[in-house]
Amino acid sequence: MEGKGINKRSFQERGWLKLDNCAKLFPAITSSELTSVFRVTAYLKEPVKYSAIRDAVEITSERFPYFSVSLGSGLFWHFLEFNNRPPRILVEENIPCTAFAIKRNNEPLFRVLVKSNRISVEFIHILTDGYGAFEYFKSLLYTYLTISGNHIRTSEGIILPETPFSEEEIEDGYNKFFQKLPPPDKLAKAWHIPFRLNKKPRLKVIRAEMDVNELLEVARSHKVTITEYIVSVYLFSLQKIYLSEKEKGRKQKGNVLRTEVPVNLRNKLPSRTMRNFSLFILPEVDMRLGTYTFEEMVRMIHLFIQAESDIKQIARFLSSNVSHEKQLILRIMPLFIKRMAISAVYKGLGSKRFTGIITNLGSVKVPVEMQELIESFEIIPPPPNLKVKVSCAMVSFKDKLRLCFCNITQSNELERHILKHLSDSGIHIKILNNN
Amino acid sequence: MNLCSNCGVELEENLKQCPLCGKNPGDPVSRVAGTVSYPSDIIHLHKKETRKHIWELTGIIAFSGIAVCTIVDLVIGKGIKWSLFADISIISAWLFLTCILLKFRKPWMLITGLSATVLFMLLMFDLISVKATWFIQIGLPVTLALVFFVCLSVILYQYARFKGFNILAIIFLSVAGFCIITEIIIDRYILGRADVRWSLIAAVSILPIALVLLFAHYRMKKGNKLDSFFHV
Repeated sequence: MEGKGINKRSFQERGWLKLDNCAKLFPAITSSELTSVFRVTAYLKEPVKYSAIRDAVEITSERFPYFSVSLGSGLFWHFLEFNNRPPRILVEENIPCTAFAIKRNNEPLFRVLVKSNRISVEFIHILTDGYGAFEYFKSLLYTYLTISGNHIRTSEGIILPETPFSEEEIEDGYNKFFQKLPPPDKLAKAWHIPFRLNKKPRLKVIRAEMDVNELLEVARSHKVTITEYIVSVYLFSLQKIYLSEKEKGRKQKGNVLRTEVPVNLRNKLPSRTMRNFSLFILPEVDMRLGTYTFEEMVRMIHLFIQAESDIKQIARFLSSNVSHEKQLILRIMPLFIKRMAISAVYKGLGSKRFTGIITNLGSVKVPVEMQELIESFEIIPPPPNLKVKVSCAMVSFKDKLRLCFCNITQSNELERHILKHLSDSGIHIKILNNN
Repeated sequence: MNLCSNCGVELEENLKQCPLCGKNPGDPVSRVAGTVSYPSDIIHLHKKETRKHIWELTGIIAFSGIAVCTIVDLVIGKGIKWSLFADISIISAWLFLTCILLKFRKPWMLITGLSATVLFMLLMFDLISVKATWFIQIGLPVTLALVFFVCLSVILYQYARFKGFNILAIIFLSVAGFCIITEIIIDRYILGRADVRWSLIAAVSILPIALVLLFAHYRMKKGNKLDSFFHV
């Protein structure tokens, strides 16, 4: 990564960093269940070597000092405090994405997990988003595989541990590109799947693997991208559940089926930040207008995503989000009141805005020599809140795409509908063992 | 290959213990107590540490309070008089807090600790009272009666399959029983005989409420949880 290099010492002397606009939300809403933690995993072809991963974590942490931080509390805002600690290396637990003790002094905000042939990194969203996590992870894997005795000739797409880091990597992209714009229209409350919640610990993960080429072929037959196709299948499956609930004569709260689809703003705006820099588009179908065929759904979602991905629309959402934190009254509000207010607003409005979440991290690009040593990549999204109940994330590597569902309900009807639809479209689906 | 059977990671040949789980590489799969190898262990540790910090802080505040009271009494009153009451109250409050902070997940240890603290406080007050001794006649039996009803409620709570209005009913009935026993003890101390009056009125008033709660629990809303009823 190019740019004006700064050394770790000068960063260390700074002592702390402001939270970015997106990260400000998480300390207020994070709990032992709604952890805001996501996991990226690589399945290697060999068992993990402990000594190599230990050294690799230490070396990589030197290159990413802005991740060696803990959460501090000021009078008005939280901040990130430099702690000069590499992340802990722990054994992977059966339940993924467990909470971080963020209120604990010097507690790192990410962890490295190992088990058998798997290396995972779990990040809390306060620190970074999926893009930042994968950049760190690829660098960690490169270092690990090199230390393990593999010769990797090219390093294209990898941030090498010996390169200096730039100031741009720690910038708050939201504030950098903020401009005062009229706010977006208010959204109607979304419908939510009615399934009963699991007993604690609620989270269950379903993982499915499919061939990217098969999926691409099906998506192309509809003249849409993979993301647009999967979002359409997701909404179509939600429609099936909505209609079956209605058939049972149950009164439904909300009639809009809406998914939250994160967009990496680095693809839209010139930023190389490693902190959060993504926003959402919210494709929706209004069930008051009638039932949609799959073809209608795909066409609508395609047009919606194309229109909403426009930079002017995104700038409008960015402006709306950042303008809240710029309000004087909010800025001078003591932190404990602010936390209560943010939490109340999130519970009251934020979580009711959408029915589901689906995120596509795209294709992971690593050098050819690394590709031969890695079986697959996977991302587990943060556990969903009690309204949304099911979240979904996908990532592809080589010719395989992995889809992970985080579900806190007793039913897996939504996953069943989605995977059945994909399977009926001619895509071979493999459900993976969770162990 | 030196593989840890618990974590599945490869260890260096000279490593006799896995640095992640603390087990010997050849040992059968199980978790090892005392090692922090799982994220949930860290959360648990964090809560424990926070409680310990609160305990230490309240300890400093309590013993500073004792020192201030004693010195003020010594300087102004030229001796230790009233400060003894203040000191015992502060020590008892701190012991109370200690029990709650350190043993709050172990109900029986918590009850034992709290009862011992109450008995200690009453005995101390009795010893420094000049006029009369009342610990054996009132303090001890009332405390034991209280402990009895609390233990009874805890046992019934633990045995209850569905915890809802039935728990409230048990608490109400325990309060009624405690009122009667307390009046008997006080009457025997003051009058030399038991003359149950106000406690009976209190018990009779509480009884229908408890019965309604039991009826609601077992007949109408079996298994309705308190938290879902009182959630805000």
